[in-house]
Amino acid sequence: MADILQAIASNLYNGEDQEVSSLVQQALDQGMAPGEILSGGLIAGMDEVGKDFKAGELFVPEVLIAARAMHAGMAVLRPLLAESDTPSAGKYVIGTVKGDLHDIGKNLVRMMVEGAGFETIDLGTDVSAEGFVAAVREHQPELLGMSALLTTTMVQMKTIIEALEEAGLRDSVKIMVGGAPVTAAFAEEVGADAYAPDAATAVDVARDLAG
Amino acid sequence: MKPRMSPKRRFLAAMMGGPVDRIPVGNVVSVITVELMEAAQAWFPQAHLNAEEMARLAVTGYEILGYDTVMPIYSVTQEAAALGCEMDWGNPHMMPGARTHPFAETDDLRIPEGWIESPSIQIVLDALCLLRKALGDRVVIVGKVMGPWTLSYHMMGVENFLISTIRDTDKAQRSLDVLKSVPIAFAKAQMQAGADIICLADHATGGMVSPIMYRDMLLPLHQEIISEIGCPTVLHCCGNTTDRLQYFAETGVDGYHFESQVEIPDAVAAASGKMTLMGNINNPQILLAGTPEQVAEACHRVVDGGVQILAPECAVPLTTPLTNLKTLVDVAKGVA
Repeated sequence: MADILQAIASNLYNGEDQEVSSLVQQALDQGMAPGEILSGGLIAGMDEVGKDFKAGELFVPEVLIAARAMHAGMAVLRPLLAESDTPSAGKYVIGTVKGDLHDIGKNLVRMMVEGAGFETIDLGTDVSAEGFVAAVREHQPELLGMSALLTTTMVQMKTIIEALEEAGLRDSVKIMVGGAPVTAAFAEEVGADAYAPDAATAVDVARDLAG
Repeated sequence: MKPRMSPKRRFLAAMMGGPVDRIPVGNVVSVITVELMEAAQAWFPQAHLNAEEMARLAVTGYEILGYDTVMPIYSVTQEAAALGCEMDWGNPHMMPGARTHPFAETDDLRIPEGWIESPSIQIVLDALCLLRKALGDRVVIVGKVMGPWTLSYHMMGVENFLISTIRDTDKAQRSLDVLKSVPIAFAKAQMQAGADIICLADHATGGMVSPIMYRDMLLPLHQEIISEIGCPTVLHCCGNTTDRLQYFAETGVDGYHFESQVEIPDAVAAASGKMTLMGNINNPQILLAGTPEQVAEACHRVVDGGVQILAPECAVPLTTPLTNLKTLVDVAKGVA
């Protein structure tokens, strides 16, 4: 049994999407619980990817193909997870701030936190303060992630956090920020709860905050 | 020390490793802020789309900030628009971006004929002509072109292109090879129009791709592009590029414009004797949010560290205070 989970994890690491989806199906056919396949196969594989990405051994292209393989596995597993009431790690709303059309970093974080078992709601790019406020009100997530690639747009993060305060929603959600120009000092200055320097760390931070 | 030099002689001398009267201050990417747009009464997005407004806004870099350069190309998407991407040209608080990617779903990677006649390209050339007429030979007029890696992001979409670099290496390499001719042709046209130097911006950034991929897929193309361009050329690549500085030094480029994520001693060690350095002054913490004293401190660190030209690290946030941008000149003049 453990062998197949190991195979799912290593195929996911290598970005073999078709292989991952057929191995997930095989594991189900063998009677393995969806939750076990998720944590022992898919999440375990994505954790390895995150670790090596953080260590500078993998780069964005490798993470992208691993995330695609994760998706392929999840496509098989998701309906069964819903049926079996496997608890999600938490709800995670994410978006790139207003004025910024860059989505690669935001997508990586979304894929990685999804890979860690969170339910994600992706607001896309160029999201206004009103857009973030409305999404927090509607989805009531445990976590909110904001991304900015440009030094010209990162200042929006402060505006968004202020808007959440005004709407009385600030304390309902933990906020994490990231993106190439963002730093821990900047995160503190704008009133975020946490900062993650890369998508793999974002998963650790999300787990800490949700825990 | 040399007797007082004109901004152009000072900047070019420093860039080519010669003696100067004082350290130059310049920019090869945008230093435009909302305050400068107000001063020039030239606003985004019109300043990306109208030659007269583009040139009028660029002049503020010299006349208001006192830099040794002017640089009229504020976005990274003038070529993308000409190559068939649908555009969102943004607004005074938002830089433009490409909404569609013509190479995403096809293997037929071809550049549209006549792209160089497109409005988004001709506007740049017209603006450079206007700047040359207005400023003559006093100030360095900086042209800017996107390299094939950045153009591949626009033409295929960032995720598609990055995935193809490992899943369909042939397609990725073909895209780079095909798009290589764009910066060469655009740079030559910019020089004819009035540019003194060219910034080659190519975002094969640390974290995004490995240094080995840079060496194998892009370095030979950069060598060819830089040798074809022929005028003094600066490479701009964002982020932490420490692990690929040694390869940048092999491109044959004259200068490298680098961000604060690269430690100055690392940059100096890799560049020494091969290319000059500019940049490194942190945008969000120092130029945007810092005091003039903090800006001056960062500038002194850059100068003392052996960087030849004072410059912000990348396109500055649109709300950066003018006082902070001017402090670079005060430090260069020895009054801060």
